[in-house]
Amino acid sequence: MAEHSEVLRELEGRFGTGTIQVQETKDGMPTAWVSSEQLREVLGHLKTSSGGSYPLLYDLTAIDERNRKHREGQPPSDFTVVYQLQSFERNEELRIKVALQGERPSAPSVTGIWKNANFYEREVYDMFGLGFEGHPNLSRILMPPWWEGHPLRKEHPARGTELGPFVMDEAEQERQLEMLRFRPEDWGMKSQAEGHEYFFVNIGPQHPSAHGVLRVVAQMDGEVVVDLVPEIGFHHRGAEKMGERQSWHTFIPYTDRIDYLAGSMNNFPYLLSVEKLAGIEVPPRGKVIRILMAELFRVISHLVYYGTFSQDVGQMSPVFYMFNDREKGFDIVEAITGGRMHPGWFRIGGVAMDLPEGWDSMVRGFIKYMRRRLKDYDAAIMRNRLFQARTKGIGALSLDEAIEWGATGHFLRACGLEWDLRKKRPYGGYETFEFDIPTASHGDSYDRLLIHVEEMHQSLRIMEQCLANMPAGPYKSDHPLAVPPRKDGTMQDIETLINHFLGVSWGPVIPAGEASVTVEATKGNNSYYLVSDGGTTSYRTRIRTPCFAHVQMTPVMSRGLTISDLVVILGSVDYVLADVDR
Amino acid sequence: MNGLGSLALYLVVVVAIVGFIMVLTHLLGERHSQRGTAVPYESGIFPTGSARIRFPSDFYLVAMFFVVFDVAAVYLFAWAVAARELGWAGYAAILVFSLETIAGLAYLWKMGAFDWGARRKREHLERHGY
Amino acid sequence: MNPVLFAIALVFGILFFAAFVIWIERRFLALVQERYGPNRVGPLGLVQVIADIIKILTKENWIPPFADKGVFVIAPMIIMVTVLASFAVIPLGPGIVASDLDVGLLFFLAMSSLAVYSVALAGWASNSKFALLGGIRAVGQMVSYEVFMGISLLGVVLQTGSFSLVAIIEAQRRLWFCVPQFVGFVVFFIAGLAETRRIPFDLPEAESELVAGYHTEYSGFKFAMFYLGEYVGITLISSMIVVLFFGGWLGPWLPPFLWFVVKTLFFVVVFVLIRGSLPRPRYDQLIGFGWKLMFPLALANLVATGGIVLALAR
Repeated sequence: MAEHSEVLRELEGRFGTGTIQVQETKDGMPTAWVSSEQLREVLGHLKTSSGGSYPLLYDLTAIDERNRKHREGQPPSDFTVVYQLQSFERNEELRIKVALQGERPSAPSVTGIWKNANFYEREVYDMFGLGFEGHPNLSRILMPPWWEGHPLRKEHPARGTELGPFVMDEAEQERQLEMLRFRPEDWGMKSQAEGHEYFFVNIGPQHPSAHGVLRVVAQMDGEVVVDLVPEIGFHHRGAEKMGERQSWHTFIPYTDRIDYLAGSMNNFPYLLSVEKLAGIEVPPRGKVIRILMAELFRVISHLVYYGTFSQDVGQMSPVFYMFNDREKGFDIVEAITGGRMHPGWFRIGGVAMDLPEGWDSMVRGFIKYMRRRLKDYDAAIMRNRLFQARTKGIGALSLDEAIEWGATGHFLRACGLEWDLRKKRPYGGYETFEFDIPTASHGDSYDRLLIHVEEMHQSLRIMEQCLANMPAGPYKSDHPLAVPPRKDGTMQDIETLINHFLGVSWGPVIPAGEASVTVEATKGNNSYYLVSDGGTTSYRTRIRTPCFAHVQMTPVMSRGLTISDLVVILGSVDYVLADVDR
Repeated sequence: MNGLGSLALYLVVVVAIVGFIMVLTHLLGERHSQRGTAVPYESGIFPTGSARIRFPSDFYLVAMFFVVFDVAAVYLFAWAVAARELGWAGYAAILVFSLETIAGLAYLWKMGAFDWGARRKREHLERHGY
Repeated sequence: MNPVLFAIALVFGILFFAAFVIWIERRFLALVQERYGPNRVGPLGLVQVIADIIKILTKENWIPPFADKGVFVIAPMIIMVTVLASFAVIPLGPGIVASDLDVGLLFFLAMSSLAVYSVALAGWASNSKFALLGGIRAVGQMVSYEVFMGISLLGVVLQTGSFSLVAIIEAQRRLWFCVPQFVGFVVFFIAGLAETRRIPFDLPEAESELVAGYHTEYSGFKFAMFYLGEYVGITLISSMIVVLFFGGWLGPWLPPFLWFVVKTLFFVVVFVLIRGSLPRPRYDQLIGFGWKLMFPLALANLVATGGIVLALAR
């Protein structure tokens, strides 16, 4: 076994050799297996340890290992629970795995260590049917309460056609609606206390400021929100399950629709992970084109956030302005890719096509136009005193709270932590760009918006640098796994023809292994944890999205404030339900 | 055209027209009844509990302020229309009256009666152990 | 003219004008927001609102089975009746008034107080939580702003010595009251925004918070009553501003009635532009703003005006 990383050596030193089994991964992330009995101790130690702590539970997921062939160097396991931790001090991530045996095994719950483990463990329960001992409320989260089976288990069908005909009669509809009715007792809530009569109101799934189909059930005392229960899953499409059925290549368009406001930005982490598994290096021009598109989509996504946020505060016009600006952005996307919201345009090893003629003048015009517009918006929104009165101090979080709840991206920056993966751990070519990481200090709704606005300026700056320094050369790698191989070669020799045929009909075979790459997406940190079993499809696709963690935080931010504040807070989170539910 | 007679006439016309429109739409409109028609709107989910609930007294307080200060305003109305006839004596009286009103307002202000915001909410939450 | 015919003509004239105001709002907001607005039905989309009214007349007059049925039906009628009734005392030109009441101003204030019942009852009768919250917000807001709305007008009354709106207009021949009563005008304008429940005071129907607030459960023409009522209300407040502070029908060259309409339209447009630009305060901010700032301001204006009027009268 190769050199252990520092943290794994420390762990071995602390808990004794033999308790920690180290696994090699393609992404180079320190990965260790610990026993179920020692899990809490190890994680607790990692969270608080003085020598480089891992305060943030970045992801918690599972793998159904029962059909997996390539498990060299890994302990036997039917189901593996994976914990991914994040250290700011070391600027490093750490993966801890627990092997579980049996059909429906249980792992100890870590909700006592990290508050955000709650949603993640519910998700694993929902998707894999695994238990978590000590979890306060282990119930379905993404699938509806009447669902039978656990979708990400290998025996669960992946297509509707395998499930038998779909029937929904009136009685069934009635039954399901009745199951959705909120029952305060289930959540330990009371309807009265000390002369106060509470009522429970559903805000969403069909509500103007739910921003999609989020459902939050608010326990109200008049105007005051006493407590809150976010209910998600209305937008669940089984993207992770689809990842196990689609070829490595054909899954790309699905990723566009994870955070549907950020289009190509979603391709980024998926392809970086695939390229890491396959060992593909993207040529410089491909890298810069990707960054150009990612930053363009960051501006486009932030515009929607900006506009809808101000609409939540009651301003009617900005959302119209910003959707117009967004159209201008989409015009560029359309000119370059042919698509608009979801171009599905990145490819394994690069992008689908070279930039069209005249792209630079379009981008230049957009940058100039956006800078002028952003100045106007500063006057209309950011400096509007009524707007400030509504958003400053509302939904404030301390940095510790934010980390405890697994917040990433603008949440951390709004709390004053200068943390942006594009700078801290540059990926995909960001190391060659100059830009700043905006930060704020209060961690409230206003600061979150402030970060977004400043990020738009920075994105425009990056786009400007793309304009100035667009490298010449190929836009796509000619690595054999970057599909499809050059067509002209197929006319010359049979080997290339066979490879082309296989690449097009089956898709590339990505070498077995595990990799996960995190990017600074528009709404926080987004990563794809891919497990390849040496096939034409992924064995397990885990999509870690920022919004899932952020939506879980809404009760912490809004308890004790009014329903108007709740709407402001929901607006300030910057979530997209497709990103939450996947 | 002046006086109460024409006013009454006008009011009758207004009520008649509004009533006529309501009858008209009742006759012209369709009728339907489906599942879900009989459920109050609550974001597409069956509601928990009815909307017949007791409300916190903050709202009641606002109503009380209205009663108190609107009664005060009545005196101002009476004075305003006759201010010239009442002269400086009347003005002095109304000045004292206004100052008293403001004093009452200041007292309420200091009591935090207009602060729906932070403090009361914090207290409330602490009381309930949140 | 026959008083009955005049009353009918006036009511329909106001309704027609309110429909025109809706068109103005939709076109102006569209202009502000970089879009077109209704531009297909009739020249410049002018007939759009008429088409909408006809359409909505044929919609179901639905009364929810869970609602308090009688109150549910009466609530939208109250708002229509009160705002239309207020126009009885507003002089649209010399001699063009349904009833030149010598307490016209008080009648207007009384009617605008009654309008509170409409939204309060609508919110309560709907038996829906969003509606209830909206209704209760409406009561708190309208009742609070009612107090200083009245007081803000007393400066005008002081200067005129009468509650009659005709007398108030006549008193402005030399100087419009918007100059000496500027504070009163500002306070009244803000209170007027609150009374019509317009942005930034649209908390009772705050879309992003309460879906549609007190009229969440309303549809068909009962909803249209609230909707039209809002625009008749805007027209009413605009014309009151014109009558009280901007010399009513007074003005050179144009016929008096036309002056009145032009001035009223100006304020209607101001209402629309405000809607296009401001966000909405929170409930406690709204109440605090009213009681802590507007109320003392109105009172101070009254006392100051009284002193000056008496000093000049000597």
